[in-house]
Amino acid sequence: MLVGILRYGGLGLLGAAGVYLLKKNPKPRTVWQIDPQVCVACGNCANYCVLEESAVKCTHAFAVCGYCELCSGCFRPDAKELNTGAENQLCPTGAIKRAYVEDPYYEYVIDESLCNGCGKCVKGCNAFGNGSLFLQVRHDRCVNCNECSIAAACPSGAFKRVSAEKPYLLKETHA
Amino acid sequence: MNRLAGAVNTRITVGVVIGTAIIIGVVAVFRLDSTGKKGSGLGDEFKYDVKDLGKIDPELILYEQSSEPIATGLEISRAIAVDGRGNVYIAGDNAVRIIGEGNPSKRIELSAAPGCVTVADDGRIFVGLREHVEVFDVAGKRLASWPSLGDDAVLTSIAVYKDNVFAADAGNRIVLRYDAAGRLVNRIGAGDDTRNIPGFVVPSPYFDLAVARDGLLRVVNPGRHRIEAYTFDGDLEFWWGRYSAGLEGFCGCCNPVSFALLGDGGFVTCEKGLTRVKIYDAEGRFVGVVAGPEQLTGGKWNICEIPSACRLGGFDVVAGVDGRIFVLDTVKNIVRTFTRTRAGK
Repeated sequence: MLVGILRYGGLGLLGAAGVYLLKKNPKPRTVWQIDPQVCVACGNCANYCVLEESAVKCTHAFAVCGYCELCSGCFRPDAKELNTGAENQLCPTGAIKRAYVEDPYYEYVIDESLCNGCGKCVKGCNAFGNGSLFLQVRHDRCVNCNECSIAAACPSGAFKRVSAEKPYLLKETHA
Repeated sequence: MNRLAGAVNTRITVGVVIGTAIIIGVVAVFRLDSTGKKGSGLGDEFKYDVKDLGKIDPELILYEQSSEPIATGLEISRAIAVDGRGNVYIAGDNAVRIIGEGNPSKRIELSAAPGCVTVADDGRIFVGLREHVEVFDVAGKRLASWPSLGDDAVLTSIAVYKDNVFAADAGNRIVLRYDAAGRLVNRIGAGDDTRNIPGFVVPSPYFDLAVARDGLLRVVNPGRHRIEAYTFDGDLEFWWGRYSAGLEGFCGCCNPVSFALLGDGGFVTCEKGLTRVKIYDAEGRFVGVVAGPEQLTGGKWNICEIPSACRLGGFDVVAGVDGRIFVLDTVKNIVRTFTRTRAGK
């Protein structure tokens, strides 16, 4: 009996010591994020997330934007008119909203409730514009899978683990 | 007997269940695309495909590449100029590289990255570094460094006409006119309702100018998709150009990114997005194409997939006195030379 007590007591002490050491030196928490300088806006973010609605949304770097009347992220290249008509809009879900600022400048805002993270606007903005539209994992939605399904499907390796204290990789100025 | 039959049934049932699970698992492993190789699975409405817009009728292509591309020898090439003897000047990295036919190339080291370069008739080289102008002689010796225009300035084009030097500042969206000594004479193009000047719309650092043989300054207003003509005192005289994804206009949010003047008073323009170099006559009427995406991007409709490549995609263009057109490919860091082989419409 004494041997048993010593055996199991020793194991318990070892376990407690391990827990103590872990809590004393916790690994920094990391989250998944898209590097906008690497992302090619392939569209996989829209469908590979384990969530029904992808945790990836388009984000707008206003400091980089040109506020163009003819926004290549908002309008199709061959748009007949610059209005909210679906035939002129680039976004298939109508997630990009346009507001007049002053001639000839307009502000473009993403409606995240409509955005599915397909990145079509990102392609348009990169090709013709300043690249102010880019995709980011939204951490109010992401469940932080240990193995992110989107990361596994990303063709350009744009998904990275970043510190949870700085969970976004934002474009801040025009390069 | 019944117990034996029941045991056999149980084993069979368990075996079938396990076997089915294994089969389903194997099928799932082979069919499930966890690596994304089968694509996003999104419909056609989510695809960004403008290949059709980049197609050009071969009958409209009036030029052919007349020699092998010239490597700039720079990691980042930004601007190109040519002098009266056909020497090509390429600004990039922290230098200006001078390439002459049959002559070894020369290199002028700069204190910072250049944004634009031009060569005066007397051989002096004017270089726009980000926020100020520097002047060099033919041998590459620095003659002058003009005052800084401030942290917001981004000089993207420079032109010399007699005793006037014009610099396009994309950061402040203004054109500066200097005298030969580098003294600022006046600013051109600021929005002014009393003079019916709408002001320049410059969403990206592509803002080009040149002085035409009629003595008027031509300046691109990229956000308005047009080229405007100003007197040296800053009066807006006229303009031409319009938005269009079609060949006759300028595509995207802000184009043309650069232009040059031809010997007959016409214009050669360069666009980004749908990368194409086109010819317009002196009145701004479309004449034809020097090169389109097929010639400039190896058959792809655009030159970039990742943002860093897209940002480099604003090519520069210059015309030689012999009519050749030089296109600086800022992504591949080469200079393509085009010679006219066909008359236009």
